Amino acid sequence: PQRSAMPKHEFFVDMTCEGCSNAVTRVLQKLGGVQFDIDLPNKKVCIDSEHNVDTLLETLKKTGKNASYIGEKSAQ
Amino acid sequence: MEVKSIALGVEGMTCNSCVQTIEQHVGRMNGIHNIKVSLEDKNAVIIYDPKLQTPATLQEAIYDMGFDATLADSNP
Repeated sequence: PQRSAMPKHEFFVDMTCEGCSNAVTRVLQKLGGVQFDIDLPNKKVCIDSEHNVDTLLETLKKTGKNASYIGEKSAQ
Repeated sequence: MEVKSIALGVEGMTCNSCVQTIEQHVGRMNGIHNIKVSLEDKNAVIIYDPKLQTPATLQEAIYDMGFDATLADSNP
């Protein structure tokens, strides 16, 4: 609950299937220090992390998929 | 020019988009002559220049993308 005030970073990642989202999950887990939700139908990944946006975006791009930063999303 | 061929087992692909992503990503690496990924056989057949790549670096490249790559013992 005390973390819910933290802004989350929202990214667009061009995922099309379970395999894609699993790949995203795995690269993020390898990076470590992240909490994230994957919204496959909307191709969005919402990340709560102490890493900066560039690091997160680089990590997402490792999957070879198109990825871009959407912006901050304040948790409600 | 020296050329080698290797088959790697790849786990975690579920659709053609995963296949294409791997083919494009690995295909862009230095020393890769050809890559054919099969969703059905769950493997990747890569033709590469052993001066620029090794089975370990190829395995790591796929692993970095969020898929499990295993070296099949394929020394005929």
